[in-house]
Amino acid sequence: MNAAFTFYATTILVYLGVDILAVWSLNLQYGVAGIYNFAWIMFQAVGAYTAGVLTLGPATGNGGFQQYILGLRLPEPLPLLAAGVVSGALALVVGIVALRRLRTDYQAMVMLVISVIAVLVIENVTGLFNGPAGLSLVPQPFGSLPLSSLGYQWFYVALTAVVCLIVYLFVHRVTSSPLGRALRATRDNEDAAQALGKDVVRLRLFVFVLGGAIAGISGAVLIQFIGAWSPGSWAYVETLVVLTAIIVGGTGNNAGVMLGALLVPVAFNEATRFIPQFGRPGLVDALQWIVIGLLALAFLWFWPRGIIPERRRRFPGTPAVSAQLADPGEVA
Amino acid sequence: MSLSVEQERQRAPGDEALLSVAGLRREFGGVWAVADATFGLRRGAITSLIGPNGAGKSTVVGIVGGAIAPSAGRVVFDGADITGLPPHQRARIGLVRTYQLSSEFGRLTVLENLLVARPGQHGERIRTLLYGKRSWRRQEAELVDQARVLLDRFAMSGMEDEYAGNLSGGQKRLLEIMRALMCQPKLLLLDEPMAGVNPTLAQKIEGYLAGLAAEGLTMLLVEHELGLVERLSESVIVMAQGKVIATGTMPELRARPEVLHAYLAG
Repeated sequence: MNAAFTFYATTILVYLGVDILAVWSLNLQYGVAGIYNFAWIMFQAVGAYTAGVLTLGPATGNGGFQQYILGLRLPEPLPLLAAGVVSGALALVVGIVALRRLRTDYQAMVMLVISVIAVLVIENVTGLFNGPAGLSLVPQPFGSLPLSSLGYQWFYVALTAVVCLIVYLFVHRVTSSPLGRALRATRDNEDAAQALGKDVVRLRLFVFVLGGAIAGISGAVLIQFIGAWSPGSWAYVETLVVLTAIIVGGTGNNAGVMLGALLVPVAFNEATRFIPQFGRPGLVDALQWIVIGLLALAFLWFWPRGIIPERRRRFPGTPAVSAQLADPGEVA
Repeated sequence: MSLSVEQERQRAPGDEALLSVAGLRREFGGVWAVADATFGLRRGAITSLIGPNGAGKSTVVGIVGGAIAPSAGRVVFDGADITGLPPHQRARIGLVRTYQLSSEFGRLTVLENLLVARPGQHGERIRTLLYGKRSWRRQEAELVDQARVLLDRFAMSGMEDEYAGNLSGGQKRLLEIMRALMCQPKLLLLDEPMAGVNPTLAQKIEGYLAGLAAEGLTMLLVEHELGLVERLSESVIVMAQGKVIATGTMPELRARPEVLHAYLAG
């Protein structure tokens, strides 16, 4: 295995880790709780920017060619954790506005609009995160370790895997608990869930904040690896790639959406990268977007539950028989 | 003895009334869906709410359940004014409703539909996530046992692992009633529980409701099938054009000209 291929493979593994965090995050919101968060990419971007300006030194450094706030040069894992906290806090604010009074389709519209507005704000308020040019030269965490270039690649793969593992344990605990069941009930029928004592707004806010925090962490992992982030990285259509991965893999299933992350943003994007250019410049890139859209439509039409559908939960023990009946009054 | 609307209005919500509504009004875009509703529900009895289409029955159920805010009036449940209480808090104090249209959680199994219904579960609290499974597993096991007893009672034991979305219309009705029972209601609001149910299953559901009434569960039944209303209800409230026009037993109501007029004239 030559060095170039190893470099490529480890880069893909990090991207896969980031995409897995991404699909778990949006799956919690969309797959488990039924929230159409078309602003998902904004939360990843905020996490990336947060980690970026906390990892970078003061903006006056490097000849002052970048303008941004903070520049605190904090050690790892503080930027990573802060990314989760800031994105989670933003999700709380957006959630309070969008989730309290609006129903799902209106929520989707609000999210889409928020996502578009956010890009415009960041592009135009250049003092925040260096405007359209974005942040660059973000130092890699633990960069002082005595590792070769390839060694550091593997180190970062391991770091990403550890973050994925920690996030998975938390996500799995949510989805496999009665809390996850209550969330799935609100997804299936909001009114009925409310009529059974579920505080739908609180449940949705919780999962929206949790998903937002994970999105922020995924952004932090990515910016610290590639060292740069700009508005071009988080146009609203990027959310659709993550959404398609969830639909293809299996909405509501943590393992399924992992497969979706492997198939859509990683395998599909990488495979089509090697297609020779034809037609006018940019045609192949545009076709990629079209195919991703068609993929989502095809799955929604023919395999709406995805490749690995949501798990059917079975409970130990056997159904009751009449002889064992307790006093029905106890139940009623 | 039947009470006139005026008598019912003047009667203070006594100890007997588990739920009482007074002067309930609700306007939708200039139309009074409920123009004046005052009535009480006796503890441990089935009371039916009848009336022609558009009488305001479902709006009253919506207001009592908390999904619809009244324009005026108040709702008192178990001695407490709950007029402004959101639906989920009403369910937690024992006021539970079913819906006219099927409202199952389609991608949850039948058993999960029942398990999710119990309010205030340990495992639904966010802080429980930090403590792990042990803190809620015992309660979950108890709920599974209770749910299976219900499934057996309603002859649906063999379907516990079926997705609720795959059930027939009648089975969904049964599931909805079971789910409401898992909520441990003091008062069950049943909004047309027989809608779309075949006669055989309707007969079964009637038997189940009679059984629950015999055990002392208070119910408000909104229903169009008057034979069923007569067989099950201790008392009947008649609404027409948004107003309660009479209360009493079915034989008493049949003798009331305003009731006949409401049904014949719509």
